[in-house]
Amino acid sequence: MDDTTVQVYSVLFIAITVVLVVTARYFQARRGRRMQRQLAGMDQIPQWLMQSIETGKPLHLAFGGAGVGGDNTPAALAAAEFFHHVIQNADASDMPPLVTMSAPATLPLGQGALRRAWRKGNTLSRAQWTPPDLAYAGAVSASVADDEPAAHIMAGSFGAELALMLDSADRRGQPSLAVSDRLDGGAVAYALADHALIGEELFAAPSAISTDEGGRADAAALDVWRGLIILGAAVLLLLEFSKQLPLLSWQLALGAAAVLIALGLIFSRRR
Amino acid sequence: MGRGGLSVFVAFIVGAIAIVSLLLGDNPALFGAGAGSEELARRLTLPGDVLLRLVVIVIALSVVIGIVNLLYVHIGRLARGKFYSAVLLASFAVTIAWTVLNKGDASLLEAVQVPIESALAALLFPSLALGGARVMQKRADVWGLLFVAVVLIVLLGSLPLAELAPVQAFSDWLMAVPVNAGARAILLGIALGAAVAGVRALLGQDRAYRG
Repeated sequence: MDDTTVQVYSVLFIAITVVLVVTARYFQARRGRRMQRQLAGMDQIPQWLMQSIETGKPLHLAFGGAGVGGDNTPAALAAAEFFHHVIQNADASDMPPLVTMSAPATLPLGQGALRRAWRKGNTLSRAQWTPPDLAYAGAVSASVADDEPAAHIMAGSFGAELALMLDSADRRGQPSLAVSDRLDGGAVAYALADHALIGEELFAAPSAISTDEGGRADAAALDVWRGLIILGAAVLLLLEFSKQLPLLSWQLALGAAAVLIALGLIFSRRR
Repeated sequence: MGRGGLSVFVAFIVGAIAIVSLLLGDNPALFGAGAGSEELARRLTLPGDVLLRLVVIVIALSVVIGIVNLLYVHIGRLARGKFYSAVLLASFAVTIAWTVLNKGDASLLEAVQVPIESALAALLFPSLALGGARVMQKRADVWGLLFVAVVLIVLLGSLPLAELAPVQAFSDWLMAVPVNAGARAILLGIALGAAVAGVRALLGQDRAYRG
């Protein structure tokens, strides 16, 4: 595939995403609250918040290596949004959550989430930066021994070093929820965390613990994109098996996608 | 226009310029074969380059902010009598002094930091092995069982024993087909999530802009 084709597809992809997000937000604003798929561990967060309030122990929220300005900027933004809602719900506690990160550019993001969501102030030392990867894992494991968090929520970019942090939490009997935008981190989270989210669930997590309509709309747009890709892959597979793949053209694919979205909207309105 | 409105406006303008510049710049073929297409492509590339350079400068500055934060947090901890914070602050002072006095000599880093990180990396193995053993405690369902079975097959398949050739072949197929397909599906999902989060930021709907 040459550069021009890649660029055209990229522009199309972004344009479709913008249309989906704007449309989902429009319908969400008109219809209000709607059902959303369940994510693992989300029902545990209110319990952890309650424990934090009752015991006076903070929550530990970790961005890992998710950093603004790098490849994982969207992961950092999604994690910041997720943490904002968690911090807001923990506001009745005496101890502000501990927010850690290994990308220095994420420090203002974490500090901003704390400042906006924690109304009691005194949060300057609660966002903590540590050098990346293993040094981060070592430092976090040591510092959580001092702070004794009620629970750990690790959402962002983690690699295999996540094992050290989760193992440390497990040994202290502290529950954990983890999600990473990296495959190795995701595998470790699945094996070691009490609750693990997988892949794009990181981006749907903020809407699962809040009543923010925009967030729900974004999660719905994400689900529509997923559905379209699964359907597209299935159709491609069928065409390949029936030796009809040459019939496929991008105009046909675009038309089919438009028809499917329209049908989805009609079905959604009737329901 | 309030402060939040101004942030959203600036975010949208900068985001739109960056995305147009990065998507459409640097490829004259997009603008036809006319004489002005190269100049147009070059001009479109320019704002993206400038913004990316600004990002690099901001990230470099954020390292300084990170170090200040580290010192601030650990001075606070030292005041509460935390011994490890004293070790960190002393290490920081010694490393700075060493680097300044020895004109950028990195031997301290190689002699201390690298072995410590290697030791931590070695610790990863028991942590992961223990985690694998605990999977069935945490997830006593068919997916947990499948996870453990795949780990065992891949581990057995990596052993250099002739008797395990069928296991090796099965392990290779597992890695090449189902694992590869699953990994691609997860990456695709993450890419979609990243695109939606990017559009959210571009539309100025991110909380960092909304305040």
